[in-house]
This record gives sequence, C-alpha cells and structure tokens, in this order.
Amino acid sequence: MEYFKSGLKTVLGTPDVEDQPSGADIVERLVDRVQHSTLLADRRDACRALKALSRKYRIEVGAKGMDALCQVLQQDRADAEIASYALDTLRLIMHNEIYEEEEIPDVTAKDSHKLGERFTEIFIKKKENVGLVLDYLEEFDFHVRWPALQLLLLLLTNKAKDVQEMILVSPMGVSKLIDMLSDSREVIRNNSVLLLTLLTKSNANIQKILAFENAFDRLFDVIQEEGNADGGIVVQDCLNLMLTLLRNNISTQNFFKEGNFISRILPLLQLPTVDEWPIQRINNVHSVLQIIRTLVSPTNPAQATSSCQQAMYTSGILKAICDLLIANGVPRNPLTEAIYTVAELIRGHNDNQLFLESVKSFESPPKDILLLLLCTMLSDKQPFDMRCAVLYVFQCYLYRNDFGKMKIVQKLLPLEKEVTETCISNLLCRGLFNKEPLNSWFSAVVLSHALIDNPEGKEKLLNVKLSSSDNNPPTLLQQIVSSIQTNDKAQFKIGYLMFLSTWFAHCSLAVESFLKINTGIPYFITQTNRLENEEIEEIVSGLSTFVMGICLAFNPDTVENFKKDSLRHLITKRIGVETFVDKLNDVSRNESYTRASKHPQPTAQNSNSLLLDYEFCKLFKMLEGMIMRALNTLPGQDDSEKLVTNQKLIEELNTTVDSLKNELSEKTNRIEELCRLANDFRDDTDRIKTELFRLQENHMSLIQAYQMKENELESYRRLLEMHGIWVS
Amino acid sequence: MSYAYLFKYIIIGDTGVGKSCLLLQFTDKRFQPVHDLTIGVEFGARLVSIETKPIKLQIWDTAGQEAFRSITRSYYRGAAGALLVYDITRRDTFNHLTTWLEDARQHSNSNMVIMLIGNKSDLEAKREVKKEEGEAFAREHGLVFMETSAKTSDNVEEAFINTAKEIYEKIQEGVFDINNEANGIKIGPQHSTGNSSIPGGNNRSNGNGCC
Repeated sequence: MEYFKSGLKTVLGTPDVEDQPSGADIVERLVDRVQHSTLLADRRDACRALKALSRKYRIEVGAKGMDALCQVLQQDRADAEIASYALDTLRLIMHNEIYEEEEIPDVTAKDSHKLGERFTEIFIKKKENVGLVLDYLEEFDFHVRWPALQLLLLLLTNKAKDVQEMILVSPMGVSKLIDMLSDSREVIRNNSVLLLTLLTKSNANIQKILAFENAFDRLFDVIQEEGNADGGIVVQDCLNLMLTLLRNNISTQNFFKEGNFISRILPLLQLPTVDEWPIQRINNVHSVLQIIRTLVSPTNPAQATSSCQQAMYTSGILKAICDLLIANGVPRNPLTEAIYTVAELIRGHNDNQLFLESVKSFESPPKDILLLLLCTMLSDKQPFDMRCAVLYVFQCYLYRNDFGKMKIVQKLLPLEKEVTETCISNLLCRGLFNKEPLNSWFSAVVLSHALIDNPEGKEKLLNVKLSSSDNNPPTLLQQIVSSIQTNDKAQFKIGYLMFLSTWFAHCSLAVESFLKINTGIPYFITQTNRLENEEIEEIVSGLSTFVMGICLAFNPDTVENFKKDSLRHLITKRIGVETFVDKLNDVSRNESYTRASKHPQPTAQNSNSLLLDYEFCKLFKMLEGMIMRALNTLPGQDDSEKLVTNQKLIEELNTTVDSLKNELSEKTNRIEELCRLANDFRDDTDRIKTELFRLQENHMSLIQAYQMKENELESYRRLLEMHGIWVS
Repeated sequence: MSYAYLFKYIIIGDTGVGKSCLLLQFTDKRFQPVHDLTIGVEFGARLVSIETKPIKLQIWDTAGQEAFRSITRSYYRGAAGALLVYDITRRDTFNHLTTWLEDARQHSNSNMVIMLIGNKSDLEAKREVKKEEGEAFAREHGLVFMETSAKTSDNVEEAFINTAKEIYEKIQEGVFDINNEANGIKIGPQHSTGNSSIPGGNNRSNGNGCC
C-alpha cells in the first residue's frame, strides 16, 4: 500500500497534507494528463496509475477516462506498454463482478453489478472502438495481444450480439481472430478457442466464415496434439467450439461432411481401457457424441442425415460407438449418450440397422446387442434415462425397416412357438403384460412401431396366441383387451391404447376381430363417459375415444350390432358428438402430447410422465380429421364405406392384374421360345444361302470353263475344217 | 474422395447475375429457373482432374446484395480463385465490375486468379453488353474472360476448370506458397507431410522443360 501511495505521489506530485484530494479528483487529474500531456512517458505513467485505480474507483475511471483510453489506443499504437495499460484498464472497468476494494456510491448501489455491462455499452457505442481492439491482435507482442484478447473476450461476454456484428463488418475481423488459433503460446491459443466459441454462438454467418478459414482443420490439429479424448479441458473447449459451428447450420454441416472431417472424429472414440474413466474423458466423449448427433439429427433434411449416416458407417464410427456399448466400465453418462447416438446413427438407414443387428457381445456365448439392450429396457433396476435411450434405439431400428418389423411379428406366430430360445419378440410380449407399468408401456410402444406401415404384419399379428399350456389360449388381442379392463394404472392403459390404435388403423381385419370381442366396445364407451379431473385420466379417456373412432372409420361392416351405421348411432346416442370431439381435443391439448410431438426422442422428467409416443402423435394428427368425417357423414353416403368398397374393388382388380400378369409371363415365354426357333431357322437359312452362293459361284466358274473349252474346241474344229480333215 | 490439391474459389458479382446457378450447374448439373436469394454465403464442392491430377474445388457462393458485402469480404483472403460474374443482359452489372475488382484486389492475396464471366449467353436477344467489351475489360485488368450460360451449361465446366488450370500452373511455377493455407490451397491428405516434396519436384522438372 505504501508503495502504491508513493507511486501516486510521483505521478501526481505531493499533495497538500490538509487538502487530501478525493478519488474523483485524482482520476480527473490523471485523465487530463493522459489526454493532454505531450510527453509519452507522462502519458504512460498516468495510464499505469489509472489502471491501478480502476478497481477502487471504477465508476470514476470509467466515466471520465473512457474517451482518453480510446484515444490512447488510437494514437499511441507504437508503444506496447501504454497500449497494454489502456487495454487492461478498459477490461477492468468492464468487468462484471464487484471488486472487493471497490468504492460504490450510494446512488448506484443497487445497479452496481451491471456496471460492467453499462461501460461495455458505452464503449461499443463508437463502432470503431471494437475495430481498434481487433487491430491490436495483429501485434505479436504478448503484452499487447494478450490484454487485447482478454478485452475482446469480455466484450463478447457482456454484449455478444452487438459485438459479433461489429467484428463481422470490420475488415478481416473474423480472420484475425482465427489466426490466434495458430499462436504458439498456449494461453493465447486456448483462450482464442473460448473467444471463437462466444463469437460464433448463434451467428450462422460467422460460423461459415470460420469453416471457410479452416477452423475445423486447426481444431482437430489442436485436439490431436492434446491427446484426443484423454486430453485436457482444451480438447473439450475445441469440441464445444465445433459443436457451436455445426449446430443448426446445414451449410457448415455439409462442409464438414464434404471435407471428410467425419473420419477425423474416429480417433476420439478409440479409447484405451482404464479402470475408471477420468472426469475429463467423460466430458470429452460426451462432447464428441453431441457433435455426431448434430450431424445425424432427425430434424436435419433427410438427405443430409442419411449421407452423414453413411459416412459414419464407412469411417468406422458406428462400430466404435457400438463397441463402447458392449465394453466394460463405461460410466453411465457417456453410455446413455452413446445409446442415443447409436439410435440416431441407424434411424431409417437400412445398412446401419443391419449392422447393429449383427453386433454381438464379447462374452461367451456371444449375445446379440439388440437382445442385451432390450433386457436393459425391460429391467426396472436400470436408470430411467438409459431405459428411454434404449427405447429410442428400438424406435430408430424399426423406423423404415420393413424387414426388421416383419422379423418381430414373425417370431410371435404359433409356428415358431416351439423355439425356446429367448428372442426379442418373446421378451416384448412378456413385457407387455409385466406388472411394472413402464415395462408394459415400453413394450407396447416398440410393438406398435413394428406395425407402422406394415399391413401384412397387422393381419398376421391377429393369429398370435398366448401361453400354450391352456387348452383354449387367448389371442394377443383378447389378452390386451382384458388387461386394459383389469389394470388401474393410467400408464398401462395408455400404452395398450396406443398399440391398439396403431394396430387398427387402416386394418379392417383387426377392427373386425376387436368388434367380435363382446366386452370391447361397451367398456370403451364407459371409459369415454367417465368424468375425469386428472389430466392423465383425460388422456386415457381421449385415447379410448380415438380407438372407437378408428373402429368407425375402418369398419368392415361385417360384425352384427357394430356395423358402421349402428356404431355411429351408438356413439351419437351414448356419448354425443360434441363430447366425442371434446375428448379427442383433450388429447391434442395435453402437455405430454405437445412434448412428444416435438422430437422422435422420448423425453420425460420421470417414469410417470412418459405417456405419449412421437409416432403415435403423428398417427393421431393424421386420423383425427378422418374420424370426424366418418362420424359426421350421413348413413349411406359414407366416405370410408366407399373406401372399403374401393378397397374391395382394388383387391378384385389386383387379382385380375395378377392373372393377367401370369398370362403375360406365359405368353412372353412362348414368344421367347418362338424367337429362339425363328433364330435357329434364320441361322439355317443363312447357312443354306451361303452354300447356295458358293454353289452358284462354282456353277458360274464351271460354265466359264466350259465356255472356254467350247471356244477352244471351236477353234480346233475350224482349224481341222480348214485343213479338210473335219467335215461337218 | 482423395485429391492432390484442394482449391478454394469464391463467386462474386451483383445480385441476380446467376452466381448460384453457375455453382448448381457445375456441382449438380441442373438449372433452377427461380431466383432464390443467397443469404450470406453458400457452399459447394466437386472433384475435377487437371493433367490427370484429382483436384477438389471447394466453391463459396456469395450473396450479391450490398447488405452482405461486409460479410462476403471475409472470404477474399482465403481464396485461390475468384469468378467475377456479370449479366450480359444488364449493363449496370457490367458497370459495377470495377468496384468488385477493387474490393477483391484490396482484400485478397495478390496471387488470386480472377476469371471474368459474362453469364446468360443464351439470352442473345436481350444482350446489352457486347462480348468485345467483356474481352476488353478483361485484357485491361489482366483477367481471363469467358461467356457462359448456367441455363444451357455452355462453358460452365470450362469456366471452373480453366480457373483451376491457371492456379495449377501457378503452383507449378512456384508462385503460390502451398504450405500456407491462407492462400486457399490445401495439399490432399495422402500428399501431405511425407510427400510434401512432390510439388517442389514437379517445379524443378517443369523448369527443365522450359530451358
């Protein structure tokens, strides 16, 4: 403190002992000196003193000194020392926290924590100021570049949006910042990663410039130097910057894929086995997985996602993450995230789905990874978020996977029932009737995903019967209908109802089987008519209404008492059209409906609030209108009735087409045969023709020869005649 | 996928002259008749071969509107080639060339190859700028010139590939420092590190050929 005072004395001269100047006075004099002194050394000393006072008298230094400090930045570029004092002082007054020694006047006391932000606003009001600081980055001298970098970091922290725009328009502004990544001094390089992260946050234009300026290359270089996933926090910072560059930006994602950067991710996933993962490794791997998920997110354009999925497969990343799933000792956090990542890597991509199917565990005998995952999902000892992640894997595995869907249905059919080995289908079927509601809900969702866009599967599933010990075992459908009636928990019912809706939609045969179950429709009507106070019960009653609506819309008109017209009559009379509509609206108005429709990934705070499924919500939205139409049309002029007749017509036409097809193929075969024959004949003819030609030629030459001989003979004859030997 | 070199291009010029269409025609071989305003900068890539060497062209298509000018300026520095495009049916786009050129020269590295493109050559009936004028401008400023049609794809390939040839020649002559990525040139993955002497070798043999 004594030193500090004496320092002040040398700068200010010895003050009068009686008249101790106030902080404000000192600052004022210093500022005056900074502005008006002609000697550089004087200005430099004053600047240093201002810096020393900027904590205690922050308001004074900021309010009175800001212009003077900016003036220094403008005029005294040549002197590194004064520039570094000015940059430091600016940073100190814009700092966000209150200093311990800070003297806070009463008037500003309650706003004092916003002082840093206020001063930042004042500083950037003059646009050229940000440019000035950027210029100082070009100085290689550590004492200048470092405070300039720190000041920019602070400006971006306090006023991200404005400063981003200013840097963007200042010539080569972004480029200068990127160059900091190549600085050999680690502290500058590492802080520039943080700076660039702030700079690029939600600014697509700056993100693209960074991509253009080879930022991905440099970041991967830094990551590699630092030891990939086992590197320190710098690796995590670099990965976070990459994530900021890629998130919600199709252009940079496309660039990332085109530039073959996906293959550079692989080393980050090749992890040496350790007993316990250090926390930094957990964080690094988590960030890597985030990057991968950004590239293959279901919300990206389908084309972009599928080409990235392909690249992830070819570069071995899918395999590396699957290895992570079956490896030992992977902590819960990266493991759950890895499961989510695998889900999105295979979603709708047939090759990747097949690959996942083929992955087996290391134990002996090896088990299918899908089976292991399913066991995790169906075990209430596992953490909830991990079970949700596995559900997501199955949803993504079945998404647009006709083969996989059929496989699940096929394994449930009676013919296959003799097989005793545990398979996915059996586990799911057992899970459906498990006493833990979540277990049943999960199984119902997976099974309904196996039925989406799978008309054949829907019909085959009607033949599935349960427990062979019984003489007359119930069908799967009968069992579900009776389980709905005996279970009280809403989660059970919602799972079953979603499954039934998916099953019945566009499948009159299934509706028929359901209507034939005596207790079915009556129970659903009572469910609809229940007056519910709780939101969760509202969903149950809404879904019951929905199932009945489906029975109406896809009614086969074959079941006595529940033909289309009578069912409509029943609904109008027992429930009323308005109530029916209200019940349906209750579902789409529910918060869990909104939440589930947002994203294919299942999300919920806890196991009780997991109620609706993304694909089901899509179905609900699609069929809602159709059900309303079916309900509102008068008997006889029925849309869906037409639909059924149309379907019959189509079926008839299909048979005709099939028989025509057969006929056609027969004819084609016949024609081919004839063609072959004709070809043979043509070959023969050709051969004969050549023969003939040859013979003709022979003949000609013989005639010629004969003619010659004849001529010869004639001349001889004439000769003999001449000599009187020959008398004709 | 692998390439010997990667060249970065930018496409610049007034709004509506057909920059994005040129890129689309070159990368996807199709034409989009509706003008879709480019926001900021878009990106495309294609592999071509120059003297049997695979070369990856990484093309950055900029927005022509004045409002985006400060953003697009950031792309000059790191580019090895630029296509400066005007519309032969709009005289004003030709008149603005000087401003574009000044901007490019000021912010780019001095070796950047600039190709002048008069686009929309299929619209002969509406022509406002003679081909000779374009040629004269190019001669005056030391640019390569070409008239193209992104619609019929006439000369589009040539425009991109000739620019690449020019850059390639400059590399052979040793004008470009290929190890400085700020020049917009990158050595392909399999050619980097161990094989970095290859370009130097080419350089020498080329020199011999000249003598």
